[in-house]
Amino acid sequence: MSRFVPFALALAVLIWPFALGAAEVRVGVLAYRGAERAAFEWQPTIRHLDRALPDHRFHAVPLDIPSLSKAVEDGRVDFVITNPGHYVELEAGHRATRLATFETVGGPKPSAAIGSAVLVRADRGDLDGLAALAGKRIAGVLPEAFGGFRLAWREMAARGLDPFRDSRLVFLGFPIEGIVEAVAKGEVDAGIVRACLLERMAEEGRVRIEEFRVLDPQPSGALGCRASTRLYPDWPFAKHAATPDGLAKRVGIALLSMPPTDGHAWTVPVDYQPVHDLFRELKIGPYEHLARRTFVEVLRDSWPWLVAAAAAVAWWLAHVVRVEHLVRRRTDELKAAHAAARRQRDEMEHGARLALLGEMASSIAHEINQPLAAIANYASGCQRRLSAGADPEGVAEGLRSIAGQAERAAGIVQRIRDFVRKRKPEPAAIDLNAVVRESLDLFRAVATRRGVAVEANLAEALPPVLADRIQVEQVLLNLLQNAVDAMAAAERRHLAVTTAATANRMVEVAVADTGPGLSPEARSRLFEPFFTTRPDGLGLGLSLSRSIAEAHGGRLRADDSPGGGARFAFTLPIVEERP
Amino acid sequence: MTPTIFVVDDDDAMRHSLEFLLKSLGQPVACFASAEAFLAAWNPDAPGCLVLDVRMPGMSGLDLQRELNERAATLSIVFISGHGDIPMVVRAMRAGAMDFLEKPFNDQVLLDHVTAGLRKSAKACEAARRAAALRARIDGLTARERAVMGLVALGKPNKVIAFELDISIKTVEVHRAHVMEKMGATSVADLTRMLVEAET
Repeated sequence: MSRFVPFALALAVLIWPFALGAAEVRVGVLAYRGAERAAFEWQPTIRHLDRALPDHRFHAVPLDIPSLSKAVEDGRVDFVITNPGHYVELEAGHRATRLATFETVGGPKPSAAIGSAVLVRADRGDLDGLAALAGKRIAGVLPEAFGGFRLAWREMAARGLDPFRDSRLVFLGFPIEGIVEAVAKGEVDAGIVRACLLERMAEEGRVRIEEFRVLDPQPSGALGCRASTRLYPDWPFAKHAATPDGLAKRVGIALLSMPPTDGHAWTVPVDYQPVHDLFRELKIGPYEHLARRTFVEVLRDSWPWLVAAAAAVAWWLAHVVRVEHLVRRRTDELKAAHAAARRQRDEMEHGARLALLGEMASSIAHEINQPLAAIANYASGCQRRLSAGADPEGVAEGLRSIAGQAERAAGIVQRIRDFVRKRKPEPAAIDLNAVVRESLDLFRAVATRRGVAVEANLAEALPPVLADRIQVEQVLLNLLQNAVDAMAAAERRHLAVTTAATANRMVEVAVADTGPGLSPEARSRLFEPFFTTRPDGLGLGLSLSRSIAEAHGGRLRADDSPGGGARFAFTLPIVEERP
Repeated sequence: MTPTIFVVDDDDAMRHSLEFLLKSLGQPVACFASAEAFLAAWNPDAPGCLVLDVRMPGMSGLDLQRELNERAATLSIVFISGHGDIPMVVRAMRAGAMDFLEKPFNDQVLLDHVTAGLRKSAKACEAARRAAALRARIDGLTARERAVMGLVALGKPNKVIAFELDISIKTVEVHRAHVMEKMGATSVADLTRMLVEAET
């Protein structure tokens, strides 16, 4: 058609002088296939308008889509001829109004004149529909092309196929015939073209129509070509929002009265709702907000939900705060209860120690009496030696012995004071053998008095244990006292204290007696508080001893002694050495 | 033979301090940590005073006293105890203890008792020695002489003795003379005292 261009230009030059002084009217035309071609295609319309409105001078301004949109925005064009998709965007964005719709005389209805065909090569039997294009290479013109992409996009989306995500899209741009060639050469699996392009190219002898297949052909008799998509209205002639109504009215009348040129004419504006539907479905153009909505829109559209969510969040926050508060309060209560229980236990332990000491009191008195009596003897001996004025060395020895015995007495008193003092347990690394020896020192008087022979089998090189010395002493003295009590009526009274390291990083202290042993009833209730076999017993000793052992991470258990009688053993964990 | 003071106490300090005190009497002091150790070292013929702790592991002081009485020991015993109850004290005193002292005791009281005990033991020892000598003399008599001696000691006249033993008066007189001579008695009263002494 480019051969007409010089002719058109010449015509324009001829007309030019007559139009001097006439008002300028700029008609933006979508030049989707180049400015020259657009100017040429719309030349008949422009010329018709020039003739119909001689007081105006019409200019075709060929622009691509972004430039045309910009021109409309800036008010640099008075009228616009563009594709239906772009028109809908301008209508929504810039209040452009259509005056007429393009019509092909004898062709399809202007309301259903545009469609797309998705072509594949006829030999691609595997591609039996749009749905089969998943993962395939699909060629289109441009992402924003109407007939060259978006119409097909809608149909694919309707079949659950997102071409951007599910297939490999290539956009080949203009000329649109390149797509047909790419399909023919097998460079792509499918191509999206405007309906009727293939038929026109076949008429022109440029392709053999039987080499191609149109996917999902629609019943579209009016169009006369095969289309894979629904059909949409033809191109509109629209006015800019700022264009005076009077001019618009005259232009509209002129368009509708334009005689068909090359089989084309303008008719009354049709409904562009199908285009709106397409944009809405694809969430593009004026409906892009559907896909990417602003916060305010979201707020406006779904405020009840937001209010509900906010209420839920508020409720949740309140709940969290409440729970937190409750947890804190209950934790404090629990801590207080623990502390109270702890105090009570300490009190009870202290009471048990006092009771134990009470049981041992006369023996302990004897134990203190012993050094006092010795001191008295030494003192008398010294006095006699001094009176006699003889044996000064003897006097010195006596005085040394007095000091030694005073220390011994003080030591016993100190030990008793430690034992009964109210105190917090202080676990430390201690040598169990030393504790056993000290306890036996304190206890020996009791054993002697009761005619009990005490034997200590202390393992050598015993590793230190982590424990509170006084508590261990308490457990041990308690076991010793029980053993002696158990043997009160026994023929043979022998008590063996044994220390040994056990396999599981513990040290065991065992007290075995030669008493009558444990009855089944006693064995089952042994560690219950207030269970006692002694008429004057409190029944706290063993239960406390067990809780002391367990508080240290150890155990206290009762067995039968191999030599008859009972054997009580408690374990304490060895101090872990820090590397 | 010098009397010895024996100390038996299981408490080292007590034993040592008693030794220290008793040595001021100027008598030999021997100490033992247990009744068993004492018995093992004991010489029954030696006089002495035993300062004995009542409570000890193993053999107790009272057990030792009983054992010594059974063996007719001449030792005096002074008990010392940290805590004596009345039945224990009674038992000890009945069995011949010198005294029962509770710790701590007055040193003078202990020393007095020990001194007395030593004296008593020395006497007892002497008596035992004499009795043993008399028993040896009695053992030297014939059966007939012993029979005559028994009746003489009862103060019976020769003719009653002759009648009871169904022997002649002359024979009685001969035996009687032999008895007085062998026993070293100067009179019937002397002989009677000897027999009483020998009995102890």
